[in-house]
Amino acid sequence: MLIKNKTGFFQRFYLVEILKGLAITKKHFLKNLFGKTVTIQYPEERRQYSDRFRGMHYIKATNGVENCTACMLCPTVCPAECIHIVAGERPDKEKYPVKFEIDVLRCCFCGMCEEACPKDAIKLSTIYEMSVAQRTVYTKDYLLEQRGNK
Amino acid sequence: MPQCLIDDRKVEFTPGENLIEVAKKVGVEIPFFCYHPALTVVAQCRMCAVEVGMPGKDGTVQMMGKLQTACSTPPAEGMVVKTKTEKVLKNQKSVMEFLLINHPLDCPICDKSGECDLQDNSFRHGDSYMRYTEERRTYLDLDMGPVIKKNMNRCIHCTRCIRFGTEVAGIREMVAVQRGNNTEITTIDGRPLETDYAGNYADICPTGSLTLKNFRFRKRAWFLKKTPSVCEGCSRGCNIELHQDGNVVHRTLPRTNMEINKYWLCDEGRFNSDYVNDADRVVTPSLPGASGLAAVGWEQALGAARASLEGKALSVLVGSDLTQEEASNLKTFLGKQFPKASVFHYGTKGIKTAADDAAADKILKRKSRTSNLHGLEKLGYQGFTGLPAGTEAVLLFRGGRAELPDLSQARHVVGVGVFMKQDAAAFHAVLPGPSWAEKDGTIVNFEGREQKIRRSILPVGQSKNLSEILMLWANQGGKTGVA
Repeated sequence: MLIKNKTGFFQRFYLVEILKGLAITKKHFLKNLFGKTVTIQYPEERRQYSDRFRGMHYIKATNGVENCTACMLCPTVCPAECIHIVAGERPDKEKYPVKFEIDVLRCCFCGMCEEACPKDAIKLSTIYEMSVAQRTVYTKDYLLEQRGNK
Repeated sequence: MPQCLIDDRKVEFTPGENLIEVAKKVGVEIPFFCYHPALTVVAQCRMCAVEVGMPGKDGTVQMMGKLQTACSTPPAEGMVVKTKTEKVLKNQKSVMEFLLINHPLDCPICDKSGECDLQDNSFRHGDSYMRYTEERRTYLDLDMGPVIKKNMNRCIHCTRCIRFGTEVAGIREMVAVQRGNNTEITTIDGRPLETDYAGNYADICPTGSLTLKNFRFRKRAWFLKKTPSVCEGCSRGCNIELHQDGNVVHRTLPRTNMEINKYWLCDEGRFNSDYVNDADRVVTPSLPGASGLAAVGWEQALGAARASLEGKALSVLVGSDLTQEEASNLKTFLGKQFPKASVFHYGTKGIKTAADDAAADKILKRKSRTSNLHGLEKLGYQGFTGLPAGTEAVLLFRGGRAELPDLSQARHVVGVGVFMKQDAAAFHAVLPGPSWAEKDGTIVNFEGREQKIRRSILPVGQSKNLSEILMLWANQGGKTGVA
């Protein structure tokens, strides 16, 4: 459908419109110069995030032993299929994850793994600075670093 | 035929049929633990208790005062069965709560989880909370040999395993010792299991107290993709289901076929699939190199294989674990490419023709350790008795199961099919073919019954289907042949 905007005489004259536009720019300029700014000086300044923010993963450990029992509920529920676990057995624990990998580029940070976990093992921390130079897979050792606040 | 009324639905039955099976016919599911269609009825778990009534002389139906166990109540003419009344549901809930008092509820680490009767029935008929707060009963675990891992804490004392041992496997090795709350299911004197059918203990166990060591923690049941197939372990042709995930066969389970294997499968057939994804299997076309076999491309390997057989006195050995389709293709191929070669089938040492095949035990096993011995005989292959005098080269076809004969007499051996690295070390060329889990086809069992095997996984590594290999072979070097 063709829409024709009707333009009046003053609009077609343009000079008034340009001045109007300049006024808006100037208004914001003065506001930022003397008033309160929207942006912050990251990384010196940081914004406060909610405790429920879902960021970098970690596996919770109790007394140095991972809570995870490799029950595979997180790879079952994961919509991105980014969790890969291989289960094994060791003397102090009947079932434990030999390999626990999260292909973090596939992860969509939905937090379903956290919800499904019966052992309170996999967690999403509030850390959001996760950019790296190459494709990353979080290994079990990396995930076991207790970076969490939950 | 007599009729009875189950949940207001009329059902015809043959006298002697079990009420649980009769109810199933009209879609009424009665939950149970200890009942198994192949075993005697003991009515121990009380889960299948239903309300039963019989018509009196005046025709009015009189319901029995107490609940009756459906598994041990023979259906009768005019019988009225109610499975959804308040009384029945309350009983089911109580039985579930009672069974779960001592059950550890360690489903996250239990291999049975996902296919567990206790889990299913708890979900359908049980409560989501429990009143029990005392400490649970625990047992020490017992090693039961190489097949079965026992976890007595999960046991609900259904005694299916005891009955399976005495009634099907024909060996009384599992027993219940002590009584009441202290009942423990164990082997006599704590000996390891002896039967060749021990894997079935894990199948019939309704909880995770008997699980397979081979499958322990390998995969959760719900990740596995299931393919109905037929076992290649012997000439019986038991019906099986192959469970795979990520192109790896993780386990084999029996599939019910009342005419062949009923519900059972022997351990040899159950763990046969392990070789499919074995690290030692040759899965690339290979030629002998400086240190053992070296992987090369298909073109090169085919060229070398062809050259090493050219103009030599040739014997062709065809494993009796190939399918009918492959063997028939092969016949055409050999007739065109090697018309002078002498062709034999081989499979089990000591079994030369189908007439040598006999039952190896009283349950399922047959003497022929390959699946299609009788089919190859049908196609006119001769049994292998020894290489003919003057044989220079041997072309060997193998499906993965046939026992390799003594080939020390032949100077050139080319293997096509599934070989382990140590077996193929002296070969002149190896062209990797598919195992039975990687192909479709027909096999003929000892009764002459033709059954379809189904492909469960894609050919492992660079292996190709046999028809493809034959086609490449025939078309190589610009010559056009027919495979």
